Amino acid sequence: MPQLLALLLLLFFRATSPASSQAASPQDQPLGNRAESVKLAVIGDSGTGAAPQFEVGRQMATARARFPFDTVIMLGDNLYGRQQPQDFVDKFERPYAGLLESGVMFYASLGNHDDPAGRYYKAFNMGGERYYAFSKKNVRFLALDSNLMDAKQLAWIEDTLKQSQDAWKICYFHHPLYSNAGRHGSEVELRVILEPIFVKYGVNVVLSGHDHVYERLKPQHGITYFVDGSSGQLRKGDLRQSESTAAAFDQDQTFMLIEIALDEMSFEAVSRTGRIVDSGVVYRRPKT
Amino acid sequence: MRHHGISPHPHPHSNAHSHAVTLAHARRSSRTSTTASTATTAAFQFVIDRFLLLPIGVGIAIVWANTFAESYFRMSHALSFVVNEVGMAFFLALISQEVLEAVMPGGALHSWRRWGMPLVAAAGGLAGAALVYLAYVHVAYELMLSQAWPIACAIDVAAAYFVMKTIAPRSGALPFVLLLAIATDVVGLAIVAPRYESYFAPDSRPTGTVLFLIAIGIAALMRASRVRAFWPYLAIGGTVSWWAFYWVGLHPALALVPIVPFLPHEPRSVDLFADPPDDDATHRFEHEWNTLVQGILFCFGLVNGGVVFSAYGTGTWAVLTAAFVGRPAGILIAVGLAVAAGLHLPRRIGWRELIVIALATSSGFVFALFFATGVMPIGPLLAEIKIGALATAAGALLTVAAAWLLKVGKFAPPRHARPHVSSEVS
Repeated sequence: MPQLLALLLLLFFRATSPASSQAASPQDQPLGNRAESVKLAVIGDSGTGAAPQFEVGRQMATARARFPFDTVIMLGDNLYGRQQPQDFVDKFERPYAGLLESGVMFYASLGNHDDPAGRYYKAFNMGGERYYAFSKKNVRFLALDSNLMDAKQLAWIEDTLKQSQDAWKICYFHHPLYSNAGRHGSEVELRVILEPIFVKYGVNVVLSGHDHVYERLKPQHGITYFVDGSSGQLRKGDLRQSESTAAAFDQDQTFMLIEIALDEMSFEAVSRTGRIVDSGVVYRRPKT
Repeated sequence: MRHHGISPHPHPHSNAHSHAVTLAHARRSSRTSTTASTATTAAFQFVIDRFLLLPIGVGIAIVWANTFAESYFRMSHALSFVVNEVGMAFFLALISQEVLEAVMPGGALHSWRRWGMPLVAAAGGLAGAALVYLAYVHVAYELMLSQAWPIACAIDVAAAYFVMKTIAPRSGALPFVLLLAIATDVVGLAIVAPRYESYFAPDSRPTGTVLFLIAIGIAALMRASRVRAFWPYLAIGGTVSWWAFYWVGLHPALALVPIVPFLPHEPRSVDLFADPPDDDATHRFEHEWNTLVQGILFCFGLVNGGVVFSAYGTGTWAVLTAAFVGRPAGILIAVGLAVAAGLHLPRRIGWRELIVIALATSSGFVFALFFATGVMPIGPLLAEIKIGALATAAGALLTVAAAWLLKVGKFAPPRHARPHVSSEVS
C-alpha cells in the first residue's frame, strides 16, 4: 500500500511539474506505441554513404517493425562530400531505401556540410526553404538553419512560435546550443539569441547534431536538449561529460525514436547494433 | 601635446621649517606626478599612434569569449548595432578623408601615374584571393561558406602601411602598398554595401533615395556657406545620409563617405596614417576625429573580435589560404602580366620588393572583420571566418620574415657591399 501511494504521488508530481525528463534504464522500452501518438525517428550527421550509415538505416527499418514511425527528422549534414544527383542516391536513398519505400517522410535541416541547394531535393521535404515548419497532430516542428541566423529568420521563428497553438513545440537544427562534446561543444552565441525566444514561446524540446556523439542534457530553462550527430559519423571518446549531461554515448553510431502522446514525449536512443543506450520520458510543461 | 605642471601650495599658517619640508615634499610630488603624467601621456600617444586600441579590444574580447562566453556574447549583441552600423561610419569617413587629402593636388599620393601598377596589382590580388577562397570551400565541400568570399578580399590598410613603413620607410613600396590596399578595399566595400540586410522593405527605397539627395544638398549648402567645422557636416548631413543608406538597404557604416568630399580639406603632404602638423582648423579637427575613431576601433575589436577557439573550421583555413597564398599570388601574376604587356614597375621596386609588398597585403584584420559582419549573419560559419580574419594578422610577421630572407628595405646589405641595388625590372 505505501508503495502504491508513493507511485501515485510520483505520477502527480510528474504531471504538474514544468518540463522535466526522466531517464529510464536502457533496458526499459518506454515507447508505448499508442495509436494516436506522433511517432518519429531522428538522425543527424548521417550522409557519409559508408557502411555504418547503411547499418543504422537497417536498424531503423527493424525498429519500425515494432514502432511504426512515419516521419524522420534530419539534423543536418545530410550529405558529406560531393553532392551530385548520384550522391543523393548513394548517401540517402540507398541507406534508407526500406523506409522510403514504406512511405516514411523525411524532413531535413541544413548542416555546414550540406549544399544549400539541397533544400530543393524533393525527398528532404524542405519546400525549397532554408527554414520551415510543419505540424503532426498536436506537435509543431520548426526546422531551422543554424548556419546563417539572420534577422529575417529570427523574426520568422518568433512569429511562427507565437502563432502556434500546438501542445508541443519542437525545434531542430544542426548546431547544438548545449553540448559537452570536445570538438565543437555548445554554440553559445546562437544560444544567447535563440534560447530567450524558445523560453518565451514555450518550446519543449530542441534537437541538434554537429557533434558526432549522442547526448541528452539536463533540462535548461525548462527545455530538454538532445544532441544526436552520430547517425553516420562518429567521434569515439569525444564526450567530456559535465554536470549538465543527463545521458551520453559516444562508442557507436546512433539514431533516436520518439513518441509524443498528450503530455508525454517518450524517447529512445538506439545504437547501430540495436542496443538502447538511453531512454526516458519528457513531460510537457504547462502553458504559462 | 601640452603638459600641465602641478604647483605646490603651502599652507599659509605653517612655520618656516614645515613650510620648507612641505615645499620640498610638494616639489618631489610634483616631479613624480609630472613624470607619471608624462609617462601616461607618452604611453597613450604610443597606443594611439600605432592604432593599438583595436588589437587591445580584440585581445580583451578573445579572453572574455573563451572564459565567460555567455556574458561576452550578451554584451556583443547588445552593442553590435551601435558599434558596427553607427560607430564604424566615423572610421570609414576618416579613412575617406585621409585618402582624399592624400590624392588631392599637393598630397603625398597625388601623381596619378603612380596608380597604374597598384591598380593592376589590386585587381590581381582581388581575383587571387576570391578564387583561392572559393576553390578551397568547394574542394572541402562546404558550399555554405561560398557567400563569404568578399571577406577574403579585405586588406587591413593600416597593417599594410605599418609593416611596410617598418621594413622600407623611404622607398616607393609605401605608396604602392597603400594605393593597392585602398583600391582593393574600395572594391570590397562596394561589394559588401548592397549585401546589408536592412530592416526596411525594398519598397521604402524611393524614400531612402530622396533622403540621400537631401543629405547631399545639406552638405553642399554648408560647403557653399564656408562652414569650417567638421561636426555640422557629420551631425546634420551625416545623420540624414545614415538614414538614407539604412532605408535604401546599403550598409549604413558607409553613410558618411559621400559627405566627406564636402568637408574642408588640406592636402596631406605626409603619408596616410602619419600625423599631419597641427597647423590649421582642418588638421585640428582631424586630430579630434582620429582620437574618437580610435575609441570606436577599440569598441569594434571588443564587440567583434571575441571568438571561441573551438569554433575554427573550413572557413578559417579558406580565409587564411586566400590571404597568404591567393592574394600574393594574384598580385604577382597580375604584375607579371602587366610587365609582359609593357607596363613598368615603379622606380626602386623589383621582384623581391614586390614579393614583400604582396605579403604585406595579406592581413585582413579590421577590414575583414568589418566585411564579415556585413556579409555573414550570426552563426558558427561567421565565427569560423572571424578566426581566419583575426589570424591573418600573422601576415605582418610573414612579411618581415620574407623581407629578411630577400634582403629588402632595412634588411638589405649596405649599398657599397651590394653588387646590385635591386633586381629592378623596369
